[in-house]
Parts: sequence; C-alpha cells; structure tokens
Amino acid sequence: MFVIGMRAPEVAESVRAGQFVNLGWAGGPLLRRPFSVYRADGDVIEVVLKAVGVGTAQLLAMELGDRVSCLGPLGRGFEIKGSHALAGRAQGAVLLISGGLGVAPMPLAARDARAAGARVTWVHGARTAGELCAETDGDEVIWATDDGSRGIQGTAVAAAPQADLVLACGPNRMLAAVADRWPEAQVAVETYMGCGTGVCLGCAVPLKRGGYDRACKEGPVYRAADVNWSMLPTHLAYSA
Amino acid sequence: MTVDMSVAAGGLHLRGPVLAASGTFGYGTEMPLLERRALGGMVSKGIFVRAREGTAPPRIAETPSGMLNAIGLQGPGAEGLVRDYAPQWATWDFPVLVNINGESASEYGELAARLDGVPGIAGFEINISCPNVEQGGLYFGNDPRAAAAVTEAVRKRTKLPVWVKLTPMVGDIGVIARAVESAGADALCAINTFVGMSVDLNSYKPRLSFRTGGLSGPAIRPLAVHLAHQAARAVHIPVIGIGGISRAEDALEFLVAGCVAVQVGTATFVNPRAIAEVHDGIAAFLETRGFGSLADLPRYLPRD
Repeated sequence: MFVIGMRAPEVAESVRAGQFVNLGWAGGPLLRRPFSVYRADGDVIEVVLKAVGVGTAQLLAMELGDRVSCLGPLGRGFEIKGSHALAGRAQGAVLLISGGLGVAPMPLAARDARAAGARVTWVHGARTAGELCAETDGDEVIWATDDGSRGIQGTAVAAAPQADLVLACGPNRMLAAVADRWPEAQVAVETYMGCGTGVCLGCAVPLKRGGYDRACKEGPVYRAADVNWSMLPTHLAYSA
Repeated sequence: MTVDMSVAAGGLHLRGPVLAASGTFGYGTEMPLLERRALGGMVSKGIFVRAREGTAPPRIAETPSGMLNAIGLQGPGAEGLVRDYAPQWATWDFPVLVNINGESASEYGELAARLDGVPGIAGFEINISCPNVEQGGLYFGNDPRAAAAVTEAVRKRTKLPVWVKLTPMVGDIGVIARAVESAGADALCAINTFVGMSVDLNSYKPRLSFRTGGLSGPAIRPLAVHLAHQAARAVHIPVIGIGGISRAEDALEFLVAGCVAVQVGTATFVNPRAIAEVHDGIAAFLETRGFGSLADLPRYLPRD
C-alpha cells in the first residue's frame, strides 16, 4: 500500500471524509481513476493505492513536480458531526471499520469524528499482516487478519466492538456484513466509475427500495441497510 | 479576427458546431456548465415514455482507448423530464434536443407528441441505435423499413426538428441514411456505439452484467469518421458526426469529411471541459488557416 500526495489547495480546504477525487494523467488510462482522499493537510491531499495495474504503476513512477489532473472533491461523504447517532452525547463512540484499501477515507473520518467530540476506535482488517496499512489513527486501534498473522484472527466486522456511530469502507462483501450487524452504519461503497460527475450513470448502486442511483453523486456513502448488496460485485478487481 | 462558428444543422441554428452527445452530459444540470458559451447544443440522456431503472452493475468497463457501457437507458420518463429538466432548459441560450426511444414505432411517436411544444425542448434525436435495451433500440436501426417507420411516426407528431441517430452495426449505412431521409428526418447523427464485449478472466464471465455493451471513445474514431462520411455521401440532409472526438483535430476530421457539426461524448467523462476545448481549438485552427468562418472549411465529400 502506497501513499501519494499532491498539491490541491481547493480540495484540501473543503474535502470531507468519504469524498473522493478523480485523477487523470498524461499517458494514463482513458478514464480517470477515483480515489478517496486519505489525508488533507494545508495545500496537500493524499490518496492511497496498491500497485495492481498499469495505471497505478504509472502513478507510483511519478517524480516530484509531475502533474496530475485532479477533479474534486466529489460525492457525498460521511455525515459525522450532524449524525443522529451522535446527537445529544457528550462523547459519542465512533467506530471506523476498514478492510484492505478501505483505509482510504478513515484518517479524515477520525479527524472529523474527533472534531465532533467523539472517541474513535478504528478496526482494520486484511488477509495478512503484510497487507495491513501501517498507518492508523484513533484512540484505540484493533487489528484483524484472516490468517491471524496480526491481531485478532477473523474479519474486521467480527472483531469490532459496539459503538454509537459506525463508518465503514472496504470490499462490498465486508460492507454487506456491516449492514447485517449495523443497518444504520454509513458505508462507502466501491463501484466501477466512469465520469465521477453524475452524467454517465456507470457507477450504479442497486438500492433495497428498487432502482439505482449513482455512487459518484448520491454516494459513495450510503446507509448500509439501503443498499441491495446481493446485486453488487463482492469486490472489484482493482481493489483486491 | 473573430471566426464565425455558427452553423445551420437540421432545422436549428447553432452558434457553434460542437454539441454534447446523448448519455454523456446527463440533462445538462449535473455538473456546473463549465464554459457553457462553447456549447452549440445539447442532446439529453435518452428517455422512453415511462421511467426505466436501467441495467444491473457492472455497467461500464474500460477497454484500450475506449469504454464499453450498458446503462440500459435509465431515466425518469417523459413526465419526470418535463417536470424536472425542461423548465431549466427553457432558460438556456443553446438548444436542447431530447433523445427519444421506444419499443415500437408508435411508442416513439407517442413520446414525441407528449414532448412537442414543451418549452425548453428544441428538437428530437431519434435513437434507433441503442445496443443496450432488450426491445427496440438497435433493432430499428439496422432495418431500413423499420428505421423509416420510426422516423415517420415521429415526423407526423411534431413540427420540431427531427434528427436520427444511426447505428454503425449495419452492412451499408447509406441504405439506412436514405431511408430515414425519405421518411422526413431533418438531420442524421452518425454514429452511436459499436456493440462489443469484454471477458473477465477471474470470473470467466463477461465484464458487463448485460453481457455486451456499446463501445465508445478514441478507439472507434476512424471507424466513425468513415461511417459519418458514408452517411453524408448518401443523403442531402446534414450529418452530425459522433465517435471518439476528444480534441479539435478529431472534430475537424469529421467536419472535413462532410459533417456540418459534431457531438462530443466520452471525452466529457474524462475532461469536463472537453467541449469548450474542442470548440476553441476549431476556432483557432480556422483562424490560423485564414478562414473567416466554419463555412469556409474545405470539405471532402464526393457524392455517391
């Protein structure tokens, strides 16, 4: 897992946890690639990626001073400060659950949760210790690995304690498990994405009430119980 | 020197030759209309009389220099369009055409009649070329009699300009082009997407849930230039070129090859300013070459 930073003052200033940027670069793939904003500090934003394909390899090969085209911040992020789950609590308990690359929106979520006066627990899961993200944030951190090579053996969802507000990001199969345990959780859904601006309708998210809406506009954050998980791919090829 | 970029295209006077292609610009309200001064016009996302959910995900897959899509014409139907979008279009300073669809010729006609006279709607683009619907769509586009019947059904129900968007999935696009010209079309739009398929080697299944999708993007541009040119040679009504345009030079190829205007589609997904950049690039090209207007651009259009 790699972190890359870029100067994007307008995005850095306004981005909310769970929002994303759509990146394009010269010589890259035709379509832009969506990335949750990982951290924002001053003029700089960061995104996380894995070296899974040609596009990510090109990004990782960039040198200081190279330019990327950055469209954002896009989508609707987590609702933390104004959430009903935290309303009226002096210090609410916010639980962050991430799987694999699902770490991406969590540092900003931790930041916003702390700003809302909450205590933050971050549960992070991966297949093996080697695939865990080395960086974490939060008042308490719980690790979970499928093979038990670090932390609790099993899934991040199983390892998670109770909380007032649950925010999750990771493979769709993990988010479906979150939905079973916490229907009110806010989850950032993974889809293939075309434009990121709401016009192509390529990032359709199937809803329990029927029909679809757009991960890039109405999402990517949804109330877990609202998504028809059985109609989404369990995980996307590039997110591993 | 200011270059005159205006064109007369199929019953409409456009201030510039670059339009937003159906299905790639939503209803024009989604993204802030970056540099809307450059828009010659917009073709809205295709609709049916009734609202449609569209296809299950995955709906898109990237391919070399292109993408496959199978959205399935998700949309609000005529009532939603008239209620939510047309009133905004009525305030805009460029024409909006509605891309119309049906499962039968009479359903196309019914939809045109429903939308005829609604403020904000300047014309129709008949979609007889969508590859991603179970009924209708491409079926009408590769049979000259069916294509003519749909065109006639719409023509009878409206006095607004009627454009017809052709499919590339035919043996001779000239035959279809002449059939819809005879049936009363004011212009042709050439071309819609090619039918394609891509396979996921992890799941051993197609990458799109619909199995096939429409291929768009730079990958199809030379094919599209040829087909738009063939259509233009076959008819006397204007042809609007579509297919893989992302730069001014791409658009100019279509214009020289006999098109009066162009539509930019997939490029907008990549670059929300694509239409403005194509428009400005055409103007700069004309100026550099010493042409005072788009009408002065040399054309290569031997007649069939």
